[in-house]
Amino acid sequence: MRDSGRKRVLVVGLGGLGCPVAGILARVPELELWLCDEDVVDVSNLHRQILYRDTDVGSDKLTAAKAALVAAGADAERIVLVRSRLLPDNALELASEVDLLVEGADNFATKFLAADAAHLAGRPIVHGAAIRFVGTAWAVSAAGAPCYRCLFEDVPPGAQLGCSEAGVMGPVVGFCGALMADLALRVLAGDATAFGSLYTYDGQADRLRQVPASPRSQCPLCGVSPTISQIIESRYTAPSCAA
Amino acid sequence: MITVRIPTPLRTLTGGEEQVQAPGETVKAVIETLEQKHPGLKDRLLDDKGVRRFVNIYVGDEDIRFLDGLETKLKSGDEISIVPAIAGG
Repeated sequence: MRDSGRKRVLVVGLGGLGCPVAGILARVPELELWLCDEDVVDVSNLHRQILYRDTDVGSDKLTAAKAALVAAGADAERIVLVRSRLLPDNALELASEVDLLVEGADNFATKFLAADAAHLAGRPIVHGAAIRFVGTAWAVSAAGAPCYRCLFEDVPPGAQLGCSEAGVMGPVVGFCGALMADLALRVLAGDATAFGSLYTYDGQADRLRQVPASPRSQCPLCGVSPTISQIIESRYTAPSCAA
Repeated sequence: MITVRIPTPLRTLTGGEEQVQAPGETVKAVIETLEQKHPGLKDRLLDDKGVRRFVNIYVGDEDIRFLDGLETKLKSGDEISIVPAIAGG
């Protein structure tokens, strides 16, 4: 809790997931939102990134997002713009400045970086992802156990399908973004039951599944003998498929 | 018979099927059986060390890493879920 009485939330990525997350959390007077992105609005974003309009195409996302949030009633003073991607040289400092991270990054390197930075800074994090008709969301406590690396271990090798190649349905990111915001509010309220369950939403079957994620004793981040104690840039690149 | 829930990224290998069924007394046996009908599925799930590190396989609500891994015993009616890491939004 800051002197202002507000808690800070870092939203990593203002895409299809980050937009609904920011839209919901910006309406909570007790929160200060730190929005982290450096992309510009593309016409291909508009069907799912609900803070942007066609007139925003070509504009930077942060400016457009803040304008939309303020127009919807958010207090401009509670929105802090971080004009950068989450990078190895800023991740730990940013994580340390906030009370909670919420990441909806579109690539694995940033997801693992956010997970590592949150844990090393002693902050909880809400992860979200969506591709085509499927989305996931889950919350990880500051202590991990389980954490993102317990479940997925390391950056997958080779190129991964992104939203532009695979597509992602607007309602799926809307649903999962709302779920991420719900988890964020539960975490901030001190609800320990928010942690540890992986939610998977299937937009074709309209099915939400909740499975417990288990801590992994060999986890390099939160296991019994962790090997990740600092952010090292080389850790966040995918090994080649031939490796 | 075992029901296997197929995640969206792998449904291209199952002709779009959301779930498939296969016989087998262990997770490994079910995957081997599925590979015969849906070639390529095994390679997406396993490498030479076992289950790929960015894939999670559940029997019911239990992660097989905390059971007996690929040798986890199954009984008729069990449901296997495949949960791969995804990035995007």
